[in-house]
Amino acid sequence: MQMQDGSVRAAIDVGSNTIHIVVARCAPADLAILADEQELVRIGESVTATGEISAQKRDDAIATLTNYKELAACYTNTPLIVVATEAIRRARNSQQFLAAVKRETGLDILIIDGEVEALLTFYGATYELYREPHAPALVGVLDLGGGSMELVLANRKRITWHTSVPVGSGWLHDRYLQSDPSTQEDQEVARTFLSTYFTGMPLPELPPALIATGGSANSLLLLARRAIGLDEQETRLTYEQVVRCEALLSDLDAETISERYDQPLKRARILPAGALIIHALMLRLQLGEIRVSTHGIREGALLAYARYGDRWLQRVKKNAGGADDDAPAEESQVSEEQDGSFAQTGYRLLLERTHKMLEWREEVLKHEDIEAVHKMRVASRRLRAVLDAYEAACDAKQFRRVYRRVKEIADILGEARDTDVMVEGLQQRLEREEEKARPGIQWLIDRLSAYREAHQVKLEAFLRKLDDETLAQQMASLRAKGNAHGKG
Amino acid sequence: MLMAKARTVTGLDLQASTGENARLIAQTRLDELYGWERYVDNPYHIRELHNMRIAAKRLRYTLEIFAEELPESVAPLLKEVEQIQEELGSLHDSDVVIALLRLCLGAQDGGSGYEYVLAHARQLKKKADFLVNPALIAYVLDPAAAPSADERHGLEALLQDLHKRRGSQYTAFRKHWNRLNKRNFRQELLDALAGPAQQ
Repeated sequence: MQMQDGSVRAAIDVGSNTIHIVVARCAPADLAILADEQELVRIGESVTATGEISAQKRDDAIATLTNYKELAACYTNTPLIVVATEAIRRARNSQQFLAAVKRETGLDILIIDGEVEALLTFYGATYELYREPHAPALVGVLDLGGGSMELVLANRKRITWHTSVPVGSGWLHDRYLQSDPSTQEDQEVARTFLSTYFTGMPLPELPPALIATGGSANSLLLLARRAIGLDEQETRLTYEQVVRCEALLSDLDAETISERYDQPLKRARILPAGALIIHALMLRLQLGEIRVSTHGIREGALLAYARYGDRWLQRVKKNAGGADDDAPAEESQVSEEQDGSFAQTGYRLLLERTHKMLEWREEVLKHEDIEAVHKMRVASRRLRAVLDAYEAACDAKQFRRVYRRVKEIADILGEARDTDVMVEGLQQRLEREEEKARPGIQWLIDRLSAYREAHQVKLEAFLRKLDDETLAQQMASLRAKGNAHGKG
Repeated sequence: MLMAKARTVTGLDLQASTGENARLIAQTRLDELYGWERYVDNPYHIRELHNMRIAAKRLRYTLEIFAEELPESVAPLLKEVEQIQEELGSLHDSDVVIALLRLCLGAQDGGSGYEYVLAHARQLKKKADFLVNPALIAYVLDPAAAPSADERHGLEALLQDLHKRRGSQYTAFRKHWNRLNKRNFRQELLDALAGPAQQ
């Protein structure tokens, strides 16, 4: 068999959540895995918080890579392939990080873009499926990482569409689900965000089969085995099983999840976010089940190396541009949107800012702290700043409609806030003014306060009528022109 | 009060990096801010100074929203923009209360030119160009709740005090603006925006 003649090679993937190594005997279309380990370092955590890889994360990564280098040396003396994805792409100090890794371990890390990442993931996640006699013609592959997710569609092994979306399990956790356990409200906001985001994500077709890979998908499979009695050999998760796992996770804190289901604590923290994403995507793709694969980008890199040799990365980049040897250029489409492109960032910012504004609604309705109105108004202003920035990228008619709506929200909040500021300023004056001025100040405070109370009634009626879903969908609809290639 | 509409940014490339586009947007917002500069030396261009404040706010939010995509050298300059926005914000807050007090005291004098506002305040469109919201004016100036003599005396004292305070707020803003001009802040920010992109 060809496999026995294949060379042994190791590939490492430095992701937002994990650093993962695979050592395998490699052939162009098959792998025999010899070692497979991962460490949850969560580099993406510090990048999301500060924009940089912290010294602690850098040292943790170097320690893990040093161990992996030793592990690989037990099997092969060929150079390691090390690739890095979203967190390193985003980090301001990624070049310093690469230099430190080179200095301490001698390893060269290749930062790959979202398209190459999507292709390598596809190669890695599907090679086992394509060994099956009746593999489905149309297949989707989801690589759910910490900082981003890659989605690939392929027909008869030919990639027909792929995209990189800057939403990952670590990212969702850090943005929406930080309390432990997360609150019902936070979960609802995260669900609404995902639902809106995925609804607005254009898909050329719905694949009947989806292979999910990445740490969160695999941890969810393990959870299903341990918590709801899924067979140890089973690699499929039904929609109902995903929903049951999500429900189990939603009420538990990370430590309990970790202890009860034997998950590393860091993974346990972000697993509820991963379950929410998988659930939302299954709804979007109308899937009754998903397959989970332990393979992904690392295996894809090994297969690409076995196929193309030392120039594997250039060849994969070329394939990502639509010239895949397995897929004639005219049948292959490049990604709908470039990872990190202005159009894609704008879409994400609009949804994020909309949710951030709406998050304050309940506090405003409680009418206990004037800061809530202030925060919601500032959030509305920031949302308008994003809208102003993206006006040229949006459909003009839709834009005017959405902009008017956001302005209405800002105006009614503005009336409340302006009055609050006046009352607050006058109250401070009242305490320090001379006696003669006090009656006048008190009179004005009373009049303004009475007006403010009357306005609160109007404000509450307005906010109760404000439909989150509709507003979020209107934001999503702005994407129409944003999808187009070319100048805005 | 009506706000000047944000300028539409031209030349954006949807498929280019966010960083490249963010620089263009920030440059447009910076131009917008400096478009109001000619009014800085006149403390009573209330409407224009208010629009300048809004322009500063738009620039600030742009720099904040795209912070991760803009060169690192932009971040320290953001503080100056924030300060300008806050200084103009305090000035505007004073202007609103001063205008309201003038209406209160003028209205109590009777026949002092405020009748129209008083008579029509409830019917005036919200978006009309008033420094103080007409609905609030109508509510505060309800004749049934007119201030007593003592209260009017207090309001007069408050108005005088606010005028003084407004003067020092304006002086502080203008001094700050002149300091920024001396160091050529506009060019400094343009240079920072043209700096190397974050990796």
